[in-house]
Amino acid sequence: MAEGEDVEWELCKENIQPLRRGRNMSALLQALSQSKDGLSPAILQQRQAFESELRLYNGDDPLDVWDRYIKWSEQMFPRGGKESNLSTLLEQAVTRYTDEKKYHDDPRYVDLWIKYAQHCLQRLDIYRYMKAQGIGITQASFYIAWAEELENGGNFLKADLIFQEGLRMLAQPLDRLQQFHRLLQARASRQAMNKVDDSDSDDETKQPERVSLAELKTRGKKAAVPIVRTGAAIKSVSRGLSLRAAPVEERSSQSSNSKVVIFDENKASAVPSEPKFEPWLAPPPARAKENEKAVEKWCDVKMRQKSKFGNALMAAPPPKPTFQPFVDESDETPKMTPCKIIPTVNNILSARKPCRDDTPLKRLLEHQRQQKEGETSKDPEKSMYCKELLFSGTTEFSLEELRAELYIKKKNSQAAVCPGEPATDTETK
Amino acid sequence: MSMVTSEYKLNQGPEDGITAVKFSPSTAHFLLVSSWDCTVRLYDVVANTMRMKYQHTAPVLDCAFYDPTHAWSGDLDTNLKMHDLNTDQDTIVGKHDAAIRCVEHCPEVNVMVTGSWDRSVRLWDPRAPCNAGTFTQPDRVYTMSVAGDRLIVGTAGRRVLVWDLRNMGYVQQRRESSLKFQTRCIRAFPNKQGYVLSSIEGRVAVEYLDPSVEVQKKKYAFKCHRLKDVVEQVYPVNAISFHSVHNTFATGGSDGFVNIWDPFNKKRLCQFHRYPTSIASLAFNSDGGLIAIAASYMHEMGDISHPEDAAYIRQVTDAETKPNAPSASPRRWPDADKTAAD
Repeated sequence: MAEGEDVEWELCKENIQPLRRGRNMSALLQALSQSKDGLSPAILQQRQAFESELRLYNGDDPLDVWDRYIKWSEQMFPRGGKESNLSTLLEQAVTRYTDEKKYHDDPRYVDLWIKYAQHCLQRLDIYRYMKAQGIGITQASFYIAWAEELENGGNFLKADLIFQEGLRMLAQPLDRLQQFHRLLQARASRQAMNKVDDSDSDDETKQPERVSLAELKTRGKKAAVPIVRTGAAIKSVSRGLSLRAAPVEERSSQSSNSKVVIFDENKASAVPSEPKFEPWLAPPPARAKENEKAVEKWCDVKMRQKSKFGNALMAAPPPKPTFQPFVDESDETPKMTPCKIIPTVNNILSARKPCRDDTPLKRLLEHQRQQKEGETSKDPEKSMYCKELLFSGTTEFSLEELRAELYIKKKNSQAAVCPGEPATDTETK
Repeated sequence: MSMVTSEYKLNQGPEDGITAVKFSPSTAHFLLVSSWDCTVRLYDVVANTMRMKYQHTAPVLDCAFYDPTHAWSGDLDTNLKMHDLNTDQDTIVGKHDAAIRCVEHCPEVNVMVTGSWDRSVRLWDPRAPCNAGTFTQPDRVYTMSVAGDRLIVGTAGRRVLVWDLRNMGYVQQRRESSLKFQTRCIRAFPNKQGYVLSSIEGRVAVEYLDPSVEVQKKKYAFKCHRLKDVVEQVYPVNAISFHSVHNTFATGGSDGFVNIWDPFNKKRLCQFHRYPTSIASLAFNSDGGLIAIAASYMHEMGDISHPEDAAYIRQVTDAETKPNAPSASPRRWPDADKTAAD
């Protein structure tokens, strides 16, 4: 049984967004089992239960419901995406309590803010806003998230300043903050060292390296191969791999400082821009549609004839490798299925516009402004129903739904008071 | 209007909020009333007496006549009941997965239709009676109306779906409500050309089913059920009912007013006096001489003290319900449509 479930999970791995907290295995399996066609009734029911709890909660810690709802959404919608409504939920939860001073240092609330920021584009703006509002300024996690964001942008100096600010505010838990601060400093110094290394790497002596697939000079009658197989011992590298010579040189110069070369993302990003000369690569992937040659008739195309004076006009044939390079089978046959791009649906995957007018931060400020105006009751219109209750959360409720939830709640509490009731109830059914 | 309008309150009304009032399709004086007190009551409105009452285990959110002797009703406990009004016999026809919000009868296809908060519409064969199909909707069903052989479904998230009841294999039209706020009620024109949709924020839209651009141009929306004070108070529009003869319609709002509208001339024909509380449901009878008005608080402001829930019966005149000088207006519908409707 467990095996089958594991396979299910393995098959949709790429659709699962990683969570810092990790994922609950049973929730994940439940979520994956229903992801094929819409939401399962169980999930809809749970969501509905959360929605009604949001509206009917009348204790003194309403954030708790939001927190549980959001955590549940994270677990139940492993793909993230629109159907999870996470960003809407986070935005609502976060904007709702901006004026509630008691939540400003609540780790749950700060956590929600950080999650919210991670759903936004201008994260730094959000963090600055939080600072200005005094949200999370005594929470270590706030400074860690902020510094991390700065560090990702390459701004170690500012990240360090953020940590120092956090330390000055004695953000809790302090040891965690210190630990992250130390780690940041370590990373920063390591990067600084790497930069120094790069600059003086030429001074170091070059260690000759063995070349693969090279032919070696032989010695003696038995044509014995020397023990030192670098440098002068190489007869030629032309056999089969003449074109390999260039990469070999490049590599040897790169790795000359005899350290283990650590993969560096920043460097790697520059590499693909340099075209590599590898003539026997598999045909280019079918992605570059605009470079594809249109399908033509071949039956009436004439081959160019050789000129009377031999092969003079023909270019010399390139040196062919003496072995068949291995090419992945899947790469061998790029699919040539005709693919029409219909202009009307072409914008399905349009890029998110980074500088849209309606940024989350603007909405936040707008929300605050509205709240202030609402107090002075300058609104030209007043809705004569409990709008707040119907439209909170991710879905709307109708008046009847709200009344029904209350009715059921009341009935259940009555049944709890006098347990004799439900028995008679079922009899009448 | 020199004529004295007669209006009276129904005796032995429900003890809790009224969810729906529905007149019998053929007998002009029988009225069904469903309520949060878990009952469905049958009234003879001319005699002003309650003829029958039957119980559900939970509040009844909607009811409908199948024929003059059979009432169908759906409750919060997900049960759908058929009640024989001659023999006073109950049958539980079936269940939904969540509360049943709407019950309608489609005489042209002879099928009962229920819409539920479980995001589905189910069809029921009234003769067997048994389930004849479940059709998933994009969200919880809030309101439903039958236009000939078509079914118009209004769901949460302001979506409107038009189904063909003869071929439920696919959705005929998917629309978004043209109003900005929650859909409260949808009712189809008796001439089957379109429908009227009301929203929770004092607005009503008149829409047409024909998707052609020409016809769609005629659709419009207007504000209503708002009281002008220092700030404008905007009320939900909960109920719509069409006059079967004149194709005019009445709307009822949480402001306690009932307005009658002439959709062809875009005019209000009349407004009744203010009722003590919200108008929860409205129904013209089959000949259009009476209107049943459910004045019942709908918990718009939560569970607070409120005037007594009651249903009123009012005689309406042609002056109140007939479009004025139909020939003079350039906006009225083509004559062909008019005759088809009549």
